[in-house]
Amino acid sequence: MQLWLIPVLPLAGFLINGLFGRRFSKGTVNAVAIGSVALSFAWVLKTIFALGSLASPYSEHYFTWIRSGILNIGCDFAVDRLTIVMLLVVTGVGAVIHIYSIGYMAHEGGYYRFFAFLNLFMFFMLVLVLASNYLVMFVGWEGVGLCSYLLIGFYFDKKFATDAGNKAFIVNRIGDFGFSLAMFYMVKNFGSLDFATVFQQAPGAPEATLTIIGLLLMLGACGKSAQLPLYVWLPDAMAGPTPVSALIHAATMVTAGVYMTARSWAIYTHAPAAMNAIAIIGVVTAFFAATIGLAQNDIKKVFAYSTVSQLGYMFLGVGCGAFSAGIYHLVTHAFFKALLFLGAGSVIHALSGEQDLRHMGGLRKKIPWTYLTMLCAAVAIAGVPPFSGFFSKDAILVAAHQHAPWMYWLGTLTAGMTAFYVFRAIFLAFFGEYRGDKHAHESPPVMLIPLAILALLSLAGGFLFKVPQFLAPLFPTLEAPEDPALVAISVAAGLMGIALAWMMYVARPGMADSFAASMKGLYTLVYNKYFVDEIYAAAVVNPVVDGSREVLWKDVDVKLIDGAANGVGARARNLGSLLRLMQSGNIRSYATWVLFGSVVLILAMGIVGGLR
Amino acid sequence: MNLPTLILALPLAGFLIALLVPRSSPQGSRIWAIAISLATFAASLALPMLFDRSGVPSGPGEQFTLDVPWIATPNIHYHVAADGVGLWLVLLSTFLTPICVLISWRSVQNRVKEFYAFLLLLEFGLVGVFLAQDLFLFYVFWEVSLVPMYFLIGIWGHERRIYAAVKFFLFTMTGSVLMLAAIIYLYNRTQTFSYPAIVEMIWNGRLTFAPGEQMLLFLAFFAAFAIKVPIFPLHTWLPDAHVEAPTAGSVMLASVMLKMGTYGILHFCLPLFPSAARACAPWIVVLAIVGIIYGALVAMVQPNMKKLVAYSSVSHLGFVVLGIFTFTQIGMDGAVYQMLNHGISTGALFVFVGLLYERRHSLEISDYGGVATAAPWLATAFLVTTLASIGLPMLNNFVGEFLVLQGAAIANFKWAIYAAIGVILSACYMLWMYQRVFYGEAKEEVRRRVADLNLREWAVVIPLIAMMVWMGVYSQTFLPPVSRTTARVLEQTQVNVPFQVRVERPSRMPAEAANVR
Amino acid sequence: MSASFGFNSADLIRFLPETILTVMGTLMMVLDPILHRRSSNAFGHMSIMALIAAIGGAVYAYTEAGPAFGGMLMVDGFATFFRVLVLVVGILTILPSYRFLARQDAETSEYHALLLFSIAGQCLMAAANDLIMVFIGLEISSISSYVLAGYFRDDKRSNEAALKYFLLGSFATAFFLYGVALIYGSTGSVNLTAARAVILGQGPGGAAPAPVFIGVAAALMFVGLGFKVSAAPFQMWAPDVYQGAPTPVTAFLSAGPKAAAFAVFLRIFMTAFEPIGSGWEPLVWCSALASMIIGNFAALLQTNIKRMLAYSSIAHAGYVLVALAARSQVGTAAAMFYLAAYALMNIGAFAVVSHLSGRGERYQNIEDFSGLAQKQPLTAAMLSIFLLSLIGVPLTGGFFGKFYIFKAALESHLVWLTVLGLLTSAVAAYYYLRILVMMYMREPCEAVENAEPLSPGLRAALILPALGTLLLGIFPGWVLAFAEKSAALVK
Repeated sequence: MQLWLIPVLPLAGFLINGLFGRRFSKGTVNAVAIGSVALSFAWVLKTIFALGSLASPYSEHYFTWIRSGILNIGCDFAVDRLTIVMLLVVTGVGAVIHIYSIGYMAHEGGYYRFFAFLNLFMFFMLVLVLASNYLVMFVGWEGVGLCSYLLIGFYFDKKFATDAGNKAFIVNRIGDFGFSLAMFYMVKNFGSLDFATVFQQAPGAPEATLTIIGLLLMLGACGKSAQLPLYVWLPDAMAGPTPVSALIHAATMVTAGVYMTARSWAIYTHAPAAMNAIAIIGVVTAFFAATIGLAQNDIKKVFAYSTVSQLGYMFLGVGCGAFSAGIYHLVTHAFFKALLFLGAGSVIHALSGEQDLRHMGGLRKKIPWTYLTMLCAAVAIAGVPPFSGFFSKDAILVAAHQHAPWMYWLGTLTAGMTAFYVFRAIFLAFFGEYRGDKHAHESPPVMLIPLAILALLSLAGGFLFKVPQFLAPLFPTLEAPEDPALVAISVAAGLMGIALAWMMYVARPGMADSFAASMKGLYTLVYNKYFVDEIYAAAVVNPVVDGSREVLWKDVDVKLIDGAANGVGARARNLGSLLRLMQSGNIRSYATWVLFGSVVLILAMGIVGGLR
Repeated sequence: MNLPTLILALPLAGFLIALLVPRSSPQGSRIWAIAISLATFAASLALPMLFDRSGVPSGPGEQFTLDVPWIATPNIHYHVAADGVGLWLVLLSTFLTPICVLISWRSVQNRVKEFYAFLLLLEFGLVGVFLAQDLFLFYVFWEVSLVPMYFLIGIWGHERRIYAAVKFFLFTMTGSVLMLAAIIYLYNRTQTFSYPAIVEMIWNGRLTFAPGEQMLLFLAFFAAFAIKVPIFPLHTWLPDAHVEAPTAGSVMLASVMLKMGTYGILHFCLPLFPSAARACAPWIVVLAIVGIIYGALVAMVQPNMKKLVAYSSVSHLGFVVLGIFTFTQIGMDGAVYQMLNHGISTGALFVFVGLLYERRHSLEISDYGGVATAAPWLATAFLVTTLASIGLPMLNNFVGEFLVLQGAAIANFKWAIYAAIGVILSACYMLWMYQRVFYGEAKEEVRRRVADLNLREWAVVIPLIAMMVWMGVYSQTFLPPVSRTTARVLEQTQVNVPFQVRVERPSRMPAEAANVR
Repeated sequence: MSASFGFNSADLIRFLPETILTVMGTLMMVLDPILHRRSSNAFGHMSIMALIAAIGGAVYAYTEAGPAFGGMLMVDGFATFFRVLVLVVGILTILPSYRFLARQDAETSEYHALLLFSIAGQCLMAAANDLIMVFIGLEISSISSYVLAGYFRDDKRSNEAALKYFLLGSFATAFFLYGVALIYGSTGSVNLTAARAVILGQGPGGAAPAPVFIGVAAALMFVGLGFKVSAAPFQMWAPDVYQGAPTPVTAFLSAGPKAAAFAVFLRIFMTAFEPIGSGWEPLVWCSALASMIIGNFAALLQTNIKRMLAYSSIAHAGYVLVALAARSQVGTAAAMFYLAAYALMNIGAFAVVSHLSGRGERYQNIEDFSGLAQKQPLTAAMLSIFLLSLIGVPLTGGFFGKFYIFKAALESHLVWLTVLGLLTSAVAAYYYLRILVMMYMREPCEAVENAEPLSPGLRAALILPALGTLLLGIFPGWVLAFAEKSAALVK
């Protein structure tokens, strides 16, 4: 079935563009980059039709990667229904965003570099979802992290960009720390990393073991999917070009954590504690990030925190055991969040780089297509029936209520806030009077068509793709009685959010400011993202760096250890100078020494002799 | 002709002839050096090709054995052979020597003749260390490799080169005299220097040590190796030596010489003194882990690129030692693999730092910035190397670190936890350095001075990067012979179980031993 | 003991080397007035011929091995080994002397004559099996070397050195003589073999003499010989004398007399005093350790190279004493081998010093070696070989000698002496390295700039010992075998 073609095609694209792209024309670069992604999308479709219903996973073994002792890790790929869903999202949305980038990056330097990295990302992401054991998955896992690092720092002469890149990589490393420890623990207990083997042994394993593994994996997921306390890198990641934010930091990579958690359902279902932890982290993150989103003025920042928040929903879903619901939201979120970002990109493009909502406004007429498409995304994310967001969010909240009612309520509240901040952004950007000084122009079709596609998906994705039904045979089904009341409440929350936003930013402009002024303290706190970055810097980063420099290096290493070594040398020289004192050059003293020495000797020998 | 002997003879002949090249024609010396070192590499390629990988994983280890008497009394033999570990380390040395010749092509302008002569002598010594099966012979090579490195640092180094060179020599010398004492003691106990013979004796119980005796012997050997590795807190000679050495010196030092220590531990300390090794293991592991984290933290704050890489070596070598003393198959395989990885990637790092120095004449990170704009390909290659050394999957270091940590986890999960912190930190210091050197606005100095790679430099860079990818993607080329040897070492460290089981067995075949048990 | 003093031809053959040297030496004195005008090198050539002839004689004598003159001499492998050794030392001393003396325009016959006499004395010591013979040899060798040390009449340092050497030397020799007397008194014999028998209680008298006397005698002789080999605590003279004496003479003193004295040392202590070995072993142990420590540590700070090498020679005496402390045949063999290696590398090193020292020996500081490698690569390379050998780096005689000594020591369970000794040798690396640093890692200095090119004599005096050093390091087999064989002194 040549599954390997799916990732290798983009890899080829990467190599070609990466090595020779500099000499290519833009056209050639596009052809290579988009061609390769489109091909692998086509191959995915072909695979799906060939494999049919996929009652059982289909896997392929290519070569042994690492074999040592009990460890035998193959480079294996496997496809089951979950993989299919991910493959479609990644290659589909990926392809669309590639196309969009043609227009967006048209005037940027390093054009070929951008597409090469994008292709490389596709490769790793596809490896991640195709992997049939944890280590190969880890390859993709780290690889996408690398690409995110490279693309965040795409404008590498800007310090803030490269800083953001490093931050992303290192925070993810902390997550991967958990992931790798989880793998070690699996091998220690199950002697393998193959999904099949591990999951088949999991039910028998002691709950403690599974809980440890589950929590360690969760740490990894928190890093990749920007959950508390490791979410801090994602907002900064917006330093990258907008298509990157859409593809990597909204649609695909950041959802890898959710995918991995769902993939490990066999472990989690036997480790309720770990599940619960995930649910809590999810719902708290969702709420927490949403509050920050309320007060951001950078349009991309708003959507960034929204992403964190939505990922929180997905965690909540999988944490409550509604794996399919989590994945469902992953899919719909891929549509509407990608669309939001691309739309934002289109706005930024239109205003030639302007990102601050306060300098926008009234763009509704200037860039109508962007406006319309973004509106679709907004209603979708706000959970307005019957649009895509509604279905998935609804599924999650119902499951949450099943799991623990307070989670449902917090989730619902968050839903309201979500609707509010998204529409706040929409209203600030497209309604009222234009507050900027740039000349706005609508984006070229090559950007608008992707927007349109995604808009359709955001609107109709919900009932087009019945993901839960599709995944039903994979995951344990949990009976969640459809409770119209719950649904109604969450929908109402969303609508109220929209209404509030309308009131504050369209009906009575200025109300927002007075509102902010009235509760100054809370506002500044939220506006400054609860000062989390500052706290981390003061509590972790600076102590470590300064401690290493001042204490470890300058004191311990140079003074203490090396000082000791050199000290030995000094002692030796002192001893030498001491011994030199014997050498007075004075012949009498020499004679005395000789005499003295001989007396000692003679006495010694005499006694020794005498004793015998 | 016996293959190891050939691989030894070539650089030695190269050295002697290099002395005859008239000093008036430096180009001649260069060409001779590259020719002979390439020839040596070609010859050594035969090692893995002809190495018999078949049979049980723990079959007899050494191959290509040649054992001829050298000195009658004491009974010293010229006894060389390659086992699954030495094999790759030899290859590493012969692979890096031509690279060192190439990178010194322009940067070494004074006393070219001596430089290449010493480089070839160094190769001779290093290869010998990994091939010698006679303890005396091993010690000879051990010391012989010391001398040319001393001169390389002392003559062609930077400002404080003399201090560094002498420090390097004295640190190593102090360790090795203790080892010499232990070697002589062993001889007096066994009347032979033949390593396999002694191991055999220990195996079938004809040679046993009193606990204290064994401990002292172990420590005597270990001291020499620990200084060479270097294990925290014996590492302070390393930063000085690295910073002051010329590029080729740094490369050979980091990539191969440090491995002499870890190789020695694996090849001598464990099989010869199993119970002492096991008794010390917890303490040594602690030192290793401290080294991993400490090295990384100190590396993070270095203002000087070479010092940074040097301290990162302390951290990486900590993984190797940790892996060895997990006493697990996986850990030891990882340790050996990590030796090779570190040889490639850290060697490459020093190469690149050298290239930057050739252009900008500074090792201070703060003097750089924006190199990526000035020399994109150099930046790309450096990035790949950086990623390799921070253990990105599909590049070499990942496999090694993964195996080591996995082994540690199996031995004691806490070890894995602490050691894995080093993996996080490695990302911190490497990426931070990369950012400060390559990203940002290109300074005027940089833009003017730093050119991109030229053809000769490509010839250096491509093999290195190719190796990183190969070793990262398809470890099966390298691991099987390694596993065989480590499995055998592991068997030999089991000796401290009662001997009665094994005494009546005719010959030592670990495989059988397994059955017996 | 009633040995008939009627000589037979065998006796004369066994006495051949000494005869040749003495005759030749005297001849030179006589010929001096005639030859002196003609060629300044004549004496050099003559004495080299004499030495080569003497080597022949020694080898020939070995074919007729056995006691001579009623057991006063014992021509055996041991004796031959040391005879050849001191003779070679003689040759290697004379080769650099040509240019050296010419530079100081001090070529005279007596220089060479004295050298030959001194060597003759050492050959006698090597072969002596009788304390009187030992003493005579000792005196012949010493007195001529006293004079040699003060060879530059008008040089203050040289005179002072000679005086010190003479006074202390005779002082120490006196102790030795007391020892001889004590032995004669208590055992009634000065023949080592006989004395041993008596000490073992197998003598004609039957009962063994009071151990106290034997012990004290041993101690007295230890003082005398310890002085000659410059072992602690009798080493102080060495630095001053070595520094003051003309460099070739220093080279000679550091190798020839030392080797001969050790030959006597070994013969006496391994035969006559062997029975009370457990008694003197601790003393040797202490003296060895003290010598190694004093030598190596005091050398760390020296700036004058001759002085530094003096301390290093003290340390090396310590190593040989370790071999003696081992009290075994292997130990003796190790000592013999080491002395050979040491003679070669040390005399080679001094040859370079004399080559560079310039007129009036102006350049004696370690700094004066700066940049030698750039001006005279060959000289530098040779010196590096000697220094590496002195450090004890493998593939050199120095390493193998050390290895062999400490092996013997460990066989005799002298574990701590071994470890400490090896550690001090690691310390030693530091000061030898300083010279390497100067030669290879510094820019040329005045001394090197106006150093004259290597004369043929010097070239030989450098290359021969260098080859010897490497030979002993790489293929020590045959020398070792010979040493092993002839180390069996105790009969």
